[in-house]
Amino acid sequence: MSDYKKIAEKRKEIAATLRTIIDPEVEVNIVDLGLIYNIDYDGDKRVNIDMTLSTPACPIGDTIIMNVMETVMGAFPGFEVDVNLTFEPRWKPEMVSEEGKKLLA
Amino acid sequence: MEGLSTDKAPSLSVVLPHFVFAGIAFMVLSVMVVLSSGLFSNHFYQPKLLAITHVFVLGWASMIIIGSLYQLIPVVFETALFSERLAKFNFWFFAFGVIYFTYSFWMGNLVNGVPWASIFTFTSFILFGINVIMSTKKAEKKTFSSKFVIASIWWLMATAIQGIVLAFNYKYQYLNDSDFKFLRIHAHFGFVGWFLLLIMGVASVLVPMFLVSHQLDENKLKRAYYSVNMGLLLLSLNWYFFSNAFATLAAWVIIMLGIVFYLSFIYDSYKKKLRKLDVGMKHSLTAFAIIVLPVVLALLASLQHDFSIIIIKNVALLYGFSIFFGFMTTLILGQTYKTLPFIIWLDRYTQYIGKRKVPMPREIYNETIADTQLYVYLIFVILFFIGIILSNTLVLKVGSLFLLLTAILYNINVFKIVFHKVKPEKSE
Repeated sequence: MSDYKKIAEKRKEIAATLRTIIDPEVEVNIVDLGLIYNIDYDGDKRVNIDMTLSTPACPIGDTIIMNVMETVMGAFPGFEVDVNLTFEPRWKPEMVSEEGKKLLA
Repeated sequence: MEGLSTDKAPSLSVVLPHFVFAGIAFMVLSVMVVLSSGLFSNHFYQPKLLAITHVFVLGWASMIIIGSLYQLIPVVFETALFSERLAKFNFWFFAFGVIYFTYSFWMGNLVNGVPWASIFTFTSFILFGINVIMSTKKAEKKTFSSKFVIASIWWLMATAIQGIVLAFNYKYQYLNDSDFKFLRIHAHFGFVGWFLLLIMGVASVLVPMFLVSHQLDENKLKRAYYSVNMGLLLLSLNWYFFSNAFATLAAWVIIMLGIVFYLSFIYDSYKKKLRKLDVGMKHSLTAFAIIVLPVVLALLASLQHDFSIIIIKNVALLYGFSIFFGFMTTLILGQTYKTLPFIIWLDRYTQYIGKRKVPMPREIYNETIADTQLYVYLIFVILFFIGIILSNTLVLKVGSLFLLLTAILYNINVFKIVFHKVKPEKSE
């Protein structure tokens, strides 16, 4: 497998891991909610995740971010995980995936 | 993680006592209604009904709304509460004021009890007002939702000041208030200014958040804000100085327009929702549908009072009932299920997230009880409504038992949530 393919494969695995993290209010995983903006994997042991919250004052923001780090590090031992929280652009319901919409309805 | 602004939620010890006190007050209130249900077929101005009114507006509604607002300040204003210590101190002060107030009215101690209780309550509202206004000063973003909340605090001050004037009148009798005009002003500062504006402001953030619906027309909120405030100002100035029948009617029409703009905003949110309704939102949207009722009754009351067109008997009592129980209690019962489980869940499970399987917030209360509670409550509202119109004591008595049952079901769930314990993890 080429490096490019390996990286793409790993990013998919990381996204699948993040799908196990559920927002407790709406009970949908954070990937399908559209909270994950980007997953960057360097091909070695470093992962950078750009993500947002539905509102900057989300009372469980800290909890979700810790959960992202713990879950990825738990699934990929030895990996270093950095979470970059951003509110640019602000989250909108349009960012919910089709799968997420089905889960909400 | 620079820019992280999520550590703003207040401590559990600030918020929780308000919910517990309010739950107990709701229970006490329903027992008082059962004991005095016959009074609802008469005039509203009786010490026992005033006791029920004040345990309702202070011990139940204001208590839970203040507690919820402490929790929601970070969400509405995107800033932390100014002082937790002040909030905790204020809780005890307010709780004492509520008990003193209710006891004085219930025992008919109008001359030596009620005036001092009103001073206590007013002081606690000032402390609460300082805490909220100082919190909003730190907020970077001023939205229309926060304007509603700030305006409601000023109307709360007006309600309390007018209340003190009325309370000391029991002792010194300086008002010539034959048509209850000061009482009407006091009540409307409270209903429309404090409760309605605050609920509108907070719900304009929460309803779209809970239903996952955005891109709503903020102009509707803006129009609602100006209409309700202007209408209430006109209504109270008219009652104070002119008592002009057409001005009263005009003021009600302006307030009604504001409510229509607001309901249209809520309806948009409902139409654009991505999420199905849970038990909390079913209660809440029912409450918003019911709000049409007191508005229509207010118009009828102004026709009956000012133009002597009698359409239904006991319209003032029916109007008060539809605000207190039709709108406010339905909303509070529902929003408890949206806020309290979440607050407790956050406290009990934050440390376990990502490390073990944790239940969802809705799994820490009994959903069947919550659903049953809604239907039992609606039976109470319908029976009482009919009972007041017909002045039928038997219907009122039976209706009051449904209120008591609602309070029991509600408290079972509230205490189940409050005393929820983390279960040890089952080994695989």
